[in-house]
Amino acid sequence: MSIRTSRIIFWIMVAAVVTMGIKLFAHREERRGRVERLADAGPLDAPYTDAEPITLLLANDSDGTLSAETRQIALPAETTARARALLDHLVTEYALPGSAHPLEPGAAVDEVFLVPLPVVGHAVDNSLATDAAGRIPTVPVASDNPNDLKPSAPGRELAIIDLRGSFVSQHPSGVEVETLTLLSMIGTLHANLPQIEQVRFLVDGQTRETLAGHADLLRTYPSRDTSSGSP
Amino acid sequence: MQQESAPQTQPQPTPPPYKDSFPVTHTQPTPAPKPPTPIKTPAERLHNALVSLPPLQFHKETIVIDPAHGGADNGSRIADDIVEKDVTLALAFRLRSLLTARGFNVVLTREDDKAANATPPFAPLTLDDRAGIANHERASACIFLHATSSGTGVHLYTSELTPAPGELPAAPWLTLQAPWVTQSQHLAGRIADALNRSRIPLVDGYASIRPVDSTACPSLVFELAPRTDDPDSINDESYQQAVAQATANALILWKDAAQPPPHLAPPEPEPNPAEANTP
Repeated sequence: MSIRTSRIIFWIMVAAVVTMGIKLFAHREERRGRVERLADAGPLDAPYTDAEPITLLLANDSDGTLSAETRQIALPAETTARARALLDHLVTEYALPGSAHPLEPGAAVDEVFLVPLPVVGHAVDNSLATDAAGRIPTVPVASDNPNDLKPSAPGRELAIIDLRGSFVSQHPSGVEVETLTLLSMIGTLHANLPQIEQVRFLVDGQTRETLAGHADLLRTYPSRDTSSGSP
Repeated sequence: MQQESAPQTQPQPTPPPYKDSFPVTHTQPTPAPKPPTPIKTPAERLHNALVSLPPLQFHKETIVIDPAHGGADNGSRIADDIVEKDVTLALAFRLRSLLTARGFNVVLTREDDKAANATPPFAPLTLDDRAGIANHERASACIFLHATSSGTGVHLYTSELTPAPGELPAAPWLTLQAPWVTQSQHLAGRIADALNRSRIPLVDGYASIRPVDSTACPSLVFELAPRTDDPDSINDESYQQAVAQATANALILWKDAAQPPPHLAPPEPEPNPAEANTP
């Protein structure tokens, strides 16, 4: 066998080894991807619905009005995340240049909690006997505060909006501008989440007297249509 | 010798000239023992709750003006060198001058920068303190002055509370304004008309601004905004004078229209079913 023939055979073998190596590597990657897909079938992002028409109650400082406007927005399916996303979209609108109710850009809402109405606590009932394990029975107790709003029907919800301190500290101060912000949030929730009947506000998880020196944050607001012209 | 006094006749109860349209029965509670009634329906108890008592004292020529904020509380910053507490105090002085000249007794919750109680221990004035000052005066109008850089003209707000038919002896503090809401709305309407006649831009509506809901008088929030887009125009003397003049004119006419709500007897207590069933 001549030297030339030996070289040809050598290079053919080298080419075959490289081809097999590449083929093995591709096959390995394919198998690995298939295994990973099988092992991680859960969602990595919150499930979002398709873009849907959403009503935002937008405030106008010049005439003190609130008007309903529709936007196509994709929102999370879960209700509390949906409420928070609605309010974030609302504040984002106000941060746009030329807004009629200008607010500083940035996240406004830390969290929204939905609590079934009526809100009850539990008290020890001494008239009932303890059970075999020595546990004392309790009964649900509703607030007897005459200032509390009474729910219209059981099953509706109280929305507790926990505002971010950074949003509140940057909010413009004034009776009209603060009132419009609160009514805009309440009206937007009412338009898109009708099961919400009452709304309360916290700031960084704490109660606070006013939004920026004027609008009352201690009271419970009824969820209602706050657009101008509505009763 | 002791002179025999002539028999005094009990004054007959006369219904006060209330304009309210709800069905209020103006009768004097009779001391005679009632015939035994086993149990009253909720409707009967509600009817008895609307028996009016003699009206409470009401001073038609007294007006309370609360210049909001003061002391360490500057309120909103309207321009680089203008803060809310100074604007409200300046407007309060203008209103007081115009009203005092027309014979009104004007009570200011603060007369200088500091906002503190006039009596020891001179604690800083809280929102509830301001409502307390207004309530003690039993005034025909309580004006809570504010100022802002947002918008233009004047913003008028009355309470968001649902109107109540009359004043109860032990009404909750946070809803004291409820019987006065209708009167407050009438007052706001008169001031709005006067401002419109003076061509001052106006926004009016309802708001939840403490301490208005805790006041027992026709009360409203009066927020002054700049005359133009320039925030400095809020301190324009002619502008402030025009606003004060229009407001004072409305308050002067309001004196004859103001009416306190009926003073109601407390509702009867819920009957005890166990006692009601005993023969």
